[in-house]
Amino acid sequence: MKKQLTLIGMLVAMTIAGCSKDANEEPDTEYPAIDISANTFPQQCSEIKRGETFTYRVRFSDNRELGSSSVDIHHNFDHHSHSTVIEPCNLEPKKTAVKPFLLIRTYDIPAGLKTYDLNQQIQVPADVDPGDYHFSIRVTDKEGWQSIKGLSIKII
Amino acid sequence: MSELNFRKRHSRVVWTVIHILLLASLAQTVLAQEHQLPGVVVDEQRKPIPGVQLSLQPGNILRLSDSSGHFVFVIAKAGTYTLTASKEGYSMFTKTYAAGNQFKSIRIVLHPIGQLLEEVIVKDRHEEERRQTEALTIDIVNKNFIQRHLGGSLMQTLSRLPGIKTIGIGSGQSKPLIRGLGFNRVVVIDKGVKHEGQQWGADHGLEIDQFAANEVELIKGAASFVYGSDAVGGAIDLKPAPPPPLQTFGGSVDILGKTNNNLYGTSTNLYGRNQRLFFDARFTYQNYGDYKVPADSVFVYDYGVALHQNKLRNTAGRETGLHLNTGYVSDKSRTTFYISNTYSKSGFFANAHGLEPRRVDAAMHDASSRDILMPRQQVNHFKVINRSSYTKGVHSWEAEIGYQHNKRKEYSQYVNHGYMPPSCPDTLGVSNYLERAFDKHVYSINFRDEISLGKHSLKIGVNGEHQQNTIAGWTFLVPAFRQSTLGAFAYDKYSMNDRVILHGAVRYDHGQIRLQEYRDWFPSGDGPDTEYLVRAAPLTRKFNSLVWSAGINYNLEQFELKANIGKSFRIPIAKELGANGVNYHYFSYEKGNASLDPEQSYQADFSLAWKARRWSVKLSPFYNYFPNYIYLNPTSQYDYFYGAGNQVFEYAQSRVMRYGGEVEINYNILPALRVGLLGEYLYAEQLSGNKKGYTLPFSPPPSGLLNLSWSPTLRNGVTGTYFSVDYRLTAPQNNIVPPEKKTPGYQVVNVQAGTRLTAGKQPLMVSLQAQNLFNTRYLNHTSFYRLIELPEAGRNIILSLKIPFRIRSSGNSSE
Repeated sequence: MKKQLTLIGMLVAMTIAGCSKDANEEPDTEYPAIDISANTFPQQCSEIKRGETFTYRVRFSDNRELGSSSVDIHHNFDHHSHSTVIEPCNLEPKKTAVKPFLLIRTYDIPAGLKTYDLNQQIQVPADVDPGDYHFSIRVTDKEGWQSIKGLSIKII
Repeated sequence: MSELNFRKRHSRVVWTVIHILLLASLAQTVLAQEHQLPGVVVDEQRKPIPGVQLSLQPGNILRLSDSSGHFVFVIAKAGTYTLTASKEGYSMFTKTYAAGNQFKSIRIVLHPIGQLLEEVIVKDRHEEERRQTEALTIDIVNKNFIQRHLGGSLMQTLSRLPGIKTIGIGSGQSKPLIRGLGFNRVVVIDKGVKHEGQQWGADHGLEIDQFAANEVELIKGAASFVYGSDAVGGAIDLKPAPPPPLQTFGGSVDILGKTNNNLYGTSTNLYGRNQRLFFDARFTYQNYGDYKVPADSVFVYDYGVALHQNKLRNTAGRETGLHLNTGYVSDKSRTTFYISNTYSKSGFFANAHGLEPRRVDAAMHDASSRDILMPRQQVNHFKVINRSSYTKGVHSWEAEIGYQHNKRKEYSQYVNHGYMPPSCPDTLGVSNYLERAFDKHVYSINFRDEISLGKHSLKIGVNGEHQQNTIAGWTFLVPAFRQSTLGAFAYDKYSMNDRVILHGAVRYDHGQIRLQEYRDWFPSGDGPDTEYLVRAAPLTRKFNSLVWSAGINYNLEQFELKANIGKSFRIPIAKELGANGVNYHYFSYEKGNASLDPEQSYQADFSLAWKARRWSVKLSPFYNYFPNYIYLNPTSQYDYFYGAGNQVFEYAQSRVMRYGGEVEINYNILPALRVGLLGEYLYAEQLSGNKKGYTLPFSPPPSGLLNLSWSPTLRNGVTGTYFSVDYRLTAPQNNIVPPEKKTPGYQVVNVQAGTRLTAGKQPLMVSLQAQNLFNTRYLNHTSFYRLIELPEAGRNIILSLKIPFRIRSSGNSSE
């Protein structure tokens, strides 16, 4: 009987020993941030003119290291919403898209940065449909956490 | 090494047996002193019954009765032995023989059992015996458990067991998660054939009617050597009901109601049998409305959604199940056809189809809580299985042939994402509302021979499966594919002496998967540089795999030890190899990897159990290592062309280590009053790759369940009465990996009560449950809706009635 108990004890000890955890650095669980402030553009409800170029300015930050970023401008003529869009701006009546402006771009962030100010020229063609648009900003950190911020804008 | 040495040196047994096992020849070990215990098994008409499973305790010596009902046990020494005889369709026979050196031939009479009247709770040992003679950690639940703990789906019902959780969506759709592994890492076996649906999707449920399940066996741990690819995390084996007793005609009616989602349902069964032919038919229907949560508004990310009467918009559903089992039973052979069709139609939460909230017409949805509008899913699963067995001499042959057709459709309003045109063109050839569809045809064949050779019980077998998969809809995630697998295995169970059983198995598999090309129906890109993208290139991959398993059972009067070590594998699925599309539920661009290797897993399982008169303890730890676990890695990259500006999620392989275990403690305070504790713990860590140091997705947090049950014996013939309280404590889950969120801990109370009443001669079984009694608001870390912060269902009172009836019964029935 004693031998049996010793055997059980050994098995339990082996199991527990096998479970000891490395004292590694804890994995990062923080999301990167998208800062919309007075110095950034566009802002919620900004108006952008057709046939002109505007400067897209935004600040990204992360506790460890930023990854990359993306922007998506698409129409909201059907009055849809995203979780990340704060509020609509005096929506015009629903309408059918004819030639809506669509822009999808990815912007790399140099390696090793905790904060980064993005500065990009975006041109809006003169013949696109004016109206309500969503301006969706996405950023990742190096670990793959993603933050999304959506703005409602108008193209006039 | 002789038998005697083993007895003297118990401590060496464990270490030596593994060697012995691997070398074990089929020749029977000659013992110094042999005694024979012969016997015969007959039915009430004194006809011999072949294929009866006989076991002798102590020692777990197993035999099958031969074609003339005879059997012989060879035992080492005289003493007191308990003989148990069992066979499907018959009640269990157990008797203790205090025997000297001379054994007389034993005559065992088996009585057929009533299949559905279940008036008598047969206190049989077959569940315990299965556990004692299997090297893997198994749990067995029967119809009574299902009735007592009935959840929204079979898997929700089973999630009360330690180590079992579900991944699901809404109130009726879920699939199993065994010790944190799910999807294609858990095999579900239905009537001997691997159930094949669309198990790769987190929002896809398992197409199984829980009313049709008779007995469910859950294998925790690597079971690839029996079930082939995919049984890396475990297996769930759904056993069909045995054939009805001779010369009977009867049935039962189940009626079910739930308060949370206003569910009503029924499952009606009719069965009959003459001498040799039988049938068993079932019809199940359930209809439920939107389910309620303890909140009047929820936040989908940070977008507030007001709920009408605490209901999650558009989560109603319907389910039907049609089953017909019919077959022929004789002394030596049996053949049964199982035909079934399950259909479900259920809505997704309208404010967040997947994870993206849309402007919804709340008034339209709130007009009725029972309508199923878009977005919704419709799944139909049709199955025909033939299962036949034949017993002759030491052989017991079994074969299954199956065909399954799974058809899954997801409907939602056309939404243009990325470069998709603003409105869905008519030229597409699919409905504007068909977001995606998956159509799967599966052909399966299994063959096994179980050979009783003295102390060895050798099982050899082959399994083959062929799948054809097609897709449709205006979105693309996974290409169409064909897949074929063929495997062969040999498994030997060697009852070494009255305490030790050794197990050894090897299996070889070959698999082939062929993906079809898919090209977008719309051009991508800006300005003139547009292109109809090839999402999936044609691909053919072949895989070979050799797996093995070795185990031991060491059983004493009060103590049980199990140990098993084994290798298992999984062929990469089409999604992992060929996904190349945007999943707008997660704002992710999922990218397959055509060069993935088959996933391999090494696992060691232990189980220690101690049983005394009033209490029992069971501890089941495990350790698992994957050299190349396949997972979907959220990278820091974006892809603007194929991925329409979304974050790239790429399939990758990394080394993974997992360990954990379950504990079960029961204590009888009084004969009718019992307190129990079930606990589970899991730790997983990626040891290499991009997510080194992180856990695996869908890792359940530690949890415990404290239960108090009282089963009083009442007067006036009222039997089977129980009152039971479950107090579940779940720890927070802070160990997460992108894109998960930390989930706080919670405490939930469930209560169950039930009894069996008789009105005249008519029995009636009543079960009552209150799930989430205190209407606690909590989040489930493994729910599809966790990421959008949707709380779990609020208080739910469940009433179910079972009314068995018998139109004609055999004279021999014990009614």
